[in-house]
Formats: sequence, C-alpha cells, structure tokens
Amino acid sequence: MRCFAGVDVGGTFTDVVLGTDDGRTFVRKLLTTHADPRDAVVEGLRLALADAGAAPDDLVRIVHGTTLATNVILERKGGRIAFVTTDGFGDLLRLGRDARVEDDRYDLWFTTPQPPVERSLTFEVAERTLADGTVRQRLEPAEADRVAAGLAAARPDAVAICFLHAYADPANEAAMAEACRRALPGTFVAASSEVWPEVREYERAMTTFMCAYVGPVMTTYLSGLRQRLVDLGIACPVEVMESSGGVMSAEAASRRPVYTVESGGAAGVVAAGALSRSLGADRVLSFDMGGTTAKAGIVTDGAPGLTHDFQIGGKGSFGGTRPGTGFPVKIPVVDLAEVGAGGGSIAWVDPAGSLRVGPRSAGSVPGPACYGRGGTDATVTDANLLLGYLNPDGLAGGVSLSRAAAEDALGRAVAEPLGVDLVDAAWAVHEVANAAMAAAIHVVTVQRGLDPRDFVMVGFGGAGPMHVARLAQSFGIATVAVPWAAGVASALGLVSADLSVDRVRTRVTALVPEEADDVEARFVALEQECRAELGAEGRTTVARSVDARHRGQAHQITVPLLPGAVTAAAVPELIERFREHYRDAYGVQLDTPVELVNLRVRLTRLVEKPPAPVAGAPVAGGSQVGTRPARFADVGTVEAPVHRWERMGPGDSLVGPCLVDGTDTTVVVPPGHRAEVDARGDLVLTVEG
Amino acid sequence: MHGASLRCSLPSLLEDHPLDTMRPGDVFAMNDPFRGGIHANDIVIFRPVFAEGRPRWFGGTLIHVADVGGAAAGGLAAVATDTFAEGILLPPVRLYAEGAETDVMRIIGRNSRVPDKVLGDVKALVAGAHTVARRVEALVERYGADGLAAFVEGSLAYAERRTRQEIEALPDGTYRGSFTIDTDGISERTFDVAVAVTVDGDRVVVDFDGTSPQSGGAINSSVSQTTSGVIFAVRCFLDPSIPMNDGCFRPIEVRLPPGTVVNPSPPAACGGRIVTVAAAIDAILDALSGCRPEHGVAPSGLVQVFTLTGVDDDGARWITLLYEFGGIGARTGSDGPDATGAFFLGGRSVIPQIEPLEGQYPFVVRRSRLLPDSGGPGRWRGGLGVETEIELLVDTVVGVRGDRLEVPPPGARGGEPGRPGGWELRRGDGTVDRLGSRQSGVEAKAGDVFVLRTSGGGGLGPVAERSPDDVRADVAEGRVSPEGAARDYGVEVAR
Repeated sequence: MRCFAGVDVGGTFTDVVLGTDDGRTFVRKLLTTHADPRDAVVEGLRLALADAGAAPDDLVRIVHGTTLATNVILERKGGRIAFVTTDGFGDLLRLGRDARVEDDRYDLWFTTPQPPVERSLTFEVAERTLADGTVRQRLEPAEADRVAAGLAAARPDAVAICFLHAYADPANEAAMAEACRRALPGTFVAASSEVWPEVREYERAMTTFMCAYVGPVMTTYLSGLRQRLVDLGIACPVEVMESSGGVMSAEAASRRPVYTVESGGAAGVVAAGALSRSLGADRVLSFDMGGTTAKAGIVTDGAPGLTHDFQIGGKGSFGGTRPGTGFPVKIPVVDLAEVGAGGGSIAWVDPAGSLRVGPRSAGSVPGPACYGRGGTDATVTDANLLLGYLNPDGLAGGVSLSRAAAEDALGRAVAEPLGVDLVDAAWAVHEVANAAMAAAIHVVTVQRGLDPRDFVMVGFGGAGPMHVARLAQSFGIATVAVPWAAGVASALGLVSADLSVDRVRTRVTALVPEEADDVEARFVALEQECRAELGAEGRTTVARSVDARHRGQAHQITVPLLPGAVTAAAVPELIERFREHYRDAYGVQLDTPVELVNLRVRLTRLVEKPPAPVAGAPVAGGSQVGTRPARFADVGTVEAPVHRWERMGPGDSLVGPCLVDGTDTTVVVPPGHRAEVDARGDLVLTVEG
Repeated sequence: MHGASLRCSLPSLLEDHPLDTMRPGDVFAMNDPFRGGIHANDIVIFRPVFAEGRPRWFGGTLIHVADVGGAAAGGLAAVATDTFAEGILLPPVRLYAEGAETDVMRIIGRNSRVPDKVLGDVKALVAGAHTVARRVEALVERYGADGLAAFVEGSLAYAERRTRQEIEALPDGTYRGSFTIDTDGISERTFDVAVAVTVDGDRVVVDFDGTSPQSGGAINSSVSQTTSGVIFAVRCFLDPSIPMNDGCFRPIEVRLPPGTVVNPSPPAACGGRIVTVAAAIDAILDALSGCRPEHGVAPSGLVQVFTLTGVDDDGARWITLLYEFGGIGARTGSDGPDATGAFFLGGRSVIPQIEPLEGQYPFVVRRSRLLPDSGGPGRWRGGLGVETEIELLVDTVVGVRGDRLEVPPPGARGGEPGRPGGWELRRGDGTVDRLGSRQSGVEAKAGDVFVLRTSGGGGLGPVAERSPDDVRADVAEGRVSPEGAARDYGVEVAR
C-alpha cells in the first residue's frame, strides 16, 4: 500500500488526513499540543496509519502545514539576530514604514510596529553599490574581517545581511556572507540577494531579517520532527506547505523558512483549487471559516491568487491588510482576506445599542456557551445552534451541546438588550457575522477588479458550510460547493499540492524590443536557479511574470507572460497586456512608455498524489433521518428535513430548505437551493430557477 | 487630516448648483479655500448619485494633485503672499456635463507645469467618485432609496450617539490651551493659536477667540482645514473605534473668528497651513488634557518637505518632491514614536525608499539615521528626529519648507523641548550653508551634500522622574548617547 499524509497544525486542532492509493481517506483530529506541536503531529500520524492498517514504510510523502514561522514572529520567540547593512543605514528596519490606519488614527498612544532588531547587534559596513549595479565602494577584505570578528564576538543566533542595491550586484553582499559563514560556522546566515533579490531596501531587508529570525527555530523543529518520525519507522520525506500554495522540501524550508508564513492559510486555498478541477470550474472563491477567523481567497485555473505585499501581523479594515501595519515579506503569498469572524466569535451589544460580533473569540477554551465547558459568552456557534443549524446531538470528538446554555448566553448578551426574541437574536448574530465575512470576500473579488458572480464558492472549515450558501446568495453567486470532510479540508489540500519554487530578479529597464534578448537570458538564468533547487526529474511547469509600470511611476503591477520565449516580436503584445491590466486596475489609460521592474519565475514539479476520494453508494432507505426546526431568510422557521451526509451517494439530490449533517459540520441548504452529491462525495448547491 | 474636507466643500457646490440643475453623468470639481477647499492642489470631486430621478447622495474624492500652476513647481510656494500665487482656483464647476468632458479639464491642464500628470490625477479622482457612485447605486438596487437613506441616517445617528456618550463622560468645564507658531517665513512676528474648549453635557464648543490675525504668508488654515484639525483633536479624547462620519460632528460646535490664521479672509495664501492646523490640534490637546490629566501629550516635530530639481543630460527637467518626519511628542505613560510625523499625519509609509529613488534621480543617499538625543528629555521622552544626507551628483536646485525648526516642539508638564531640525548644504569647498525654514531656488553644485534633520518631539514631565533604567535602555538602543544621558538626565552610562 502507498499512503500520503497531510498534517495541518492549527491554533486549536491538529488535523491529520491519510490518503491511500486505493482511494480511501482516514482522518484524525487532535487538540494541538502547543508546548511541542510535534507531539500531536506524530501521534496523529501513528493513529491514522493504524486506522488504515498501513505500515510506517507505506508512507511515501508527508506534507506539513505549520504556523510555526508566524507564531515565532508574532510571539517574538526567535533568537538574537545580527543585522548587517551598508554604512549609514543601521536604522533601516527600526525607522520602518508604518501607516496609521483605522483606530490608530485617533489613538494618541499608538505605537509603530518595532521589529525584533537590536542596535547592539546591528553592524554597519563600509561598502556601496549603486542602482545600476556599479560597485562604488568595494567591500575590502579587512572590512569584512572586522565585521565578521565583531559578529563572532557577539555570538548571535543567526545573521541577516542586506546591502543597498544588492539585487543589482550581489558581489559585496556575497563576500560579506562568505566572511560571516567563515567566522560563525554552523550559524544561520541569510543574505538578501539569496533570499529575495528585489528592489526596495526596507521590504527586502525585513524579508531577510525574518528569514534569519525564524531560521534556527524552524531548523530545530524540522530536524527534530524528522528524528521522531524515523523512530516510528517513517522514512519518507517531510515536505512543508509554503505560502504561495506550493510545497517545499524540509531542507528548503530550513534554508528559507520565511516562505512558510502563510502555510496554513495556503493549504485551504489549495484544497479549494483541487476541488475546482473536479468541479470543472475555472474560477473558485475559497471560503474557510473556523473557530476564530474566516478567510477568503481566489483560485483561477487551479492557481491561487497571490500577493507580493504580505504583512506579518498586518491589519486594516474589513479583511484587507494595509502596508505599514505589520512586518512586510516580499515572497509571494496567497492573497487571503481574513476577518475575526468564526464559530467562537463573541456577540455583544455596544453602549450605543449596536449588535457586534467579534473580534474577541471564545476559542476552544472555554469555547462557545453551548459546549458546556465553562463558556458564558454568546458566540456564533451558539446562534447557529438556536437557528437549528448545528446538529443538537453534538459534534465529532464527543462534544455534546447544551441548548439551555446557548439560550441563556444569547438571551443575556443579545436578546434582552435588543428587546427581541431568542431566534431573532440568533438570526441577527448570524447575519452580522455574514456581513463581516462578506467584507473579506469583497476584498479579494470586487477590490481586485473581479466579479464574484463569475465564481463558484467553496465553503469549508468547521463553520463554513453553515454560512456559505447565504453568503453566496448575497453576491449573486449561483453555485456553491462543500467538500466532503469539510472540517479537515485544509489538511486534504496539503496532499494535493505540487512542489514549487519562486524566484525574482529586479531589472529596471525600458520595455522595448531591443531589450528582449537580455530579458530572455535573465529569465533562463532564473529558471536554472529554480531547477537547481527543485531537481530536474519529473514533469515541471514554468510560469513567468513581470512587474511593470509607466515611466515616472513609483509602483508597479504584475503581469503574467504567455508561454514561450521573450522575443523582440513579442514585446508589443506584452506592452499591450500591461496596458490592459493597468486599465483594469485603475480605470484610466495612459500613453507614457512602459518599463520593467522585476522578473518573476515560478517553477512547479508535479508529484504523485493519492486518488481523489470516492463517494460511497447511497444507503438503502434514503438519507433523511428526521427533521428539526430551523430558521431561514424569507420563510422564517420551518421544520426542516435532516439528512446524513454519509448516507448519500453520487447523484443524490435534495431540495432546500434542508440540513445535511456530516461528522464535523452541517451543510445548510436554504430555500430555493438544490444540493447534489458529486462523484467525490462533495455537495454542490445551486440556486433553483 | 481631511476629516472635514468633503463636508465643508459640499455646501458651496449646492449653493452654486442647486440639486434640480444636476443631471446624471455630471461631475463637479472645486478647490477654492474660501469655499470649503484647503489649498489649490487639493482638488475635490463630487458626482451626484441619482435615485428615482433625483440626486440623493454624492460620491466625493480628494487628493493632493500634481502641479496646478502658481509661483513654485509642485505647489510648494513656500513664501506665497496670496492665493493667486498658489495655483489655479476652481469654484464649484462642471468637469463633466451629462457624461461629456467640459473645457474645464483643458483649463486645468493648461495651467500646470506637468499637464499629463495633473490630468491623470484628476481622472483618477473622477474614477474614484464613479466607483463610489456605482456602489451606492448597487445598494439602492438592493435596499431601495428609502431603505438606504434610513441606513445612512441610522449610522450617522449611531456615530452621534456614541460621540455624545463619550463627551458626557468628560468633566464639564471650559479648558484653555494655546500654541505659538514660530514664523510664517515672511514677517518678523509669531502667531498664537488660542482655544477655549467648553464641555457642556453631551456637547463641545471649540472657540478660537484670541487667535492671531491672518498671516501675509502661506501659513493660513482655511475653515475646512481647521475644522479637520478640530474633529481630529477632539476625537483623540473619545473612543477611537467610533466610526468616522458626519454624526461625529453634530455634538461639536466650532467657532472660528474671521480674519485669523484659522479662518483667513481672501486672498490669503493657504498652502503652508500644516503648521497652523498642527498648532490648532496641539492647542486643543493642551486644553483637553486639563480635563483628562492622564491624557497629556507634548507637541511633535512636523513634516519637512523639499524639492530637488535639475536638468538631465538630454535636456529634460527632472523634479522630485520628498518628505521627512519629525518625532512625535511624548505621551503620559509612553515615549513618543520616532520620526513618524505629528499625530494627525499618516506615518512613514509615504516616504519613498532609497533604492528606487537612486534608480530614478541623480543623487546618492549617504546616510539616513535616527538622531540620538533629538527627542525632548522628560519623564517620558519625545520621539527622535532623523538625519538624512544626500550627495548631489549633478547641479541641483533645492527648495525646502519646514516648520517648528526655529522654535522646536516644546516640552509639556515640565518636560524639555525636542532638538530643532534644519536644512544645510555642505559645499564641495568645505563650507556649510544653513538654509532657512522655508526657502526656494537654492542652487547646489554636483558633489554638494544636502543634509536634512527633523525635529524631535517634546518631552513630558520632569527629567528627574525618568527611571535611570529607561535612560540606560535608550543608550543601549542608540536613542540617547552616553554624553546625552549624563547631560540631559544626569545618568552616567559606561560606553
């Protein structure tokens, strides 16, 4: 037997999904072990292998989704990092590029995000390269030795080097890195020209610094995990989901750990992408609603939408993050809008009488009031229980639900202050949560110039299937899909991802036919770097794009290239594509000349994956197991038929209003919707008539 | 800093163009500082949103556009003496009539040194107003015009209710504050901005009686700009999470004596008003900290603006307008943030990075660093200013405009002032020319080094009360030098 495992470590649960080569899927959900997340990872793998009756050496691939990098940065648990930069610019990271947004504007006590860089570990180096790559001041060996000696005396946990214009000519920086590695053998050294050689010193330096900050922790974590798996007899490689939806080897993740900052979020979007292929949908809106947050992202032709402006710990309004509110990293990251609305989000009435949901969350401890674990705040989950959506018999993992506790909490927090009955209060909480999540969907669609009506919406996560159909309706989206095992969809997404690597090179030049050969040569060189990283074997695909702008502008937009070499003849077409993108983005047409800023390459190596799960045959006697009263828009409370998901088979079809209970979630099928089971067991909802 | 700009402009539009004369597809432009505008470069665009055949709402947008003429390129007429030196003035006029571009667009273009840029900016404003209108129309389609109107009134009433609740929590009384502006760059005198803030139940009256007469220079702050400063400063004492809309203004009455720097009469120049609106804000913060002693803040270093311009090898003119920020004043309980401008400004994200600048313009930045010891000493230290050195590779003409340089941001409650910033040119022959706060047309040679330093924020509370551990931490992080620790705080720190 050959098995493939996806392991997704989240804030509350560690999900392990094991897929076998004969199409079976085994799921284990464990509480995350925060002291050492590897405990739950290893235990979950052991249990899932036992469930499948598989031996440790049947495992051919483990893909790991981890929030380790983000947690290390946000909780400031990295080590002491030396920052080495050009003379005169030691304050580069501390000066920062903060923006005052939202509440911060009127807060006299606002603080700017301060990176974990220490002045005493900052080293300024006599050297200088200019924008065109000319080395104005060469790094003299004596100067490199002086700095390296200072570093050796300071004994940092890792070193980050960023010299001005090192993207244009890395010679000085490379010489410095070499001297550091000599002086500090075994110490993690990150150089900006190796990590992400893109123009703009602040973001490049921060990306490099964060790489160094996370590096030692990630290396220790992954090598320790490796050892514990070997102890279990598991010898297959461990791969890590990176932020743009590809997968990297553990070795690569140790070298460039900052690539994993959005590892967990990316897995969900990849899962939605995998579903898009089986649905035959070229545009999918991924909607992942868990315990504390909801995330929206898009997938076009199987590829997740990406951003190059990711902010670690960033904030903004309504799911959009704003530059200057966190620590920027320039690597490509899935473009996710995130709002603090999840099953555990707490509902409250503010002093002026307005109903609010979140941003505080009851989390898993104490959890929603209805869990009966000591929570007394009214949450979205409590509202969903009172609306009849949640299966009152309880959830997977033996969580029983107390209707009385939910009524008590919601009555006190919402119904009484607003002077409405309990079900109206619950409905209002559900709708306010939906409005917050709609804002996130708006960010990744309308704000990006995309019409949400062109998308199929995929809803997953523990709470997603209860909200997705109503949300889709508000955007005029006609088709909704809820994947089988929706509660662990992200872990399933991990095993459907391919290996990939992204590289960038800044090259500021006029976009004219005479430059085509030079640009092509640079692209070929970038691709060779990618192949060196991923290995040559197997089938690969290459995606090229450029960042371009009108001459005189400060900012650029990314334009994907058509397949094929960049030739003089192809340049006019590329210029036209840029102008089209520009028009779409800004609504105005300019005639000024166009210049290139960055060249980007993404190389993907296609890997073996487990076959898609196959839905079981329908159970004799039908899928309906009863009814329960549930509240819907327009029709109010009705006695809704309740179906069991596992009793349904391909082609089975239901008409809303009805509810489909799965092991870890309930799919709400509103009036006017038809729900059908596809070959994989997914539920596809369409608006009738 | 534009919290009141659209609300102050709209009444003038309606005065000149009654609702029943507006047609679908009309777009209006305006910038007159004496009709709700700020200064010439801040162009306001309004587009009516029609429902049931009549205008019910407006989409409005505002940015600082590229050059619109006037005495100096880029709207930096540092020493303008009237509004006509600051660029073309637009009373409320139709930019589009029923969807067709009017001749106004060509007039704006013809009055600019960079017509393509300014028209690009204006069209971006129009595109923004269209987007607002389209989205409002979608809401009308979904909720009906009356449904939307009910929602709008509901959210205004909500913001008003929360603002009143928060004002009610402030102790009643009249609180006075003031701030003195060091110079207007023209006359020999200083300017006082005086304010009395009266908290009366759930309402506030902000009265600038006693403020100095308007300046013959450019530091005058129009009604619109002063009102933005007032709402900003008052909101700093309320729950920051109250949504910002017109409901917040309803409990606040603003009294601006005509003919003063906070409400100038025509034809006063208004382009250099940052220093005045900052003074108005600091005066209100000073006043209101009288009713909320725990809300003490010291004044901040402000924004310093400069232009570098020259002619490149093939004869084309290049021009760049850049900023740097001073340190923020100390707050009770917290040192001021470094080099991020006054409280009402947006933060360092607007400052371009060095690599792209050096790729575009003929200069090399030699250093950019926080200035140790520039933050005003005190129990709580002011934020630091910065020092940037720019080596000019070709002959360059320099223009500068800075405030709070001659008299630095003062300390509060016994704290010390921040260290004043300034401008200088280090000439190739070794001489150093100090530039004034506001100066344009300064000629520099290739090889000269242009140096700018921004002011540190004021300190708060007596120096003697600062913990020596905090001083030592500042020394370790380079914010205070060992000499500064000994001199300003009496704390000896080993080097």
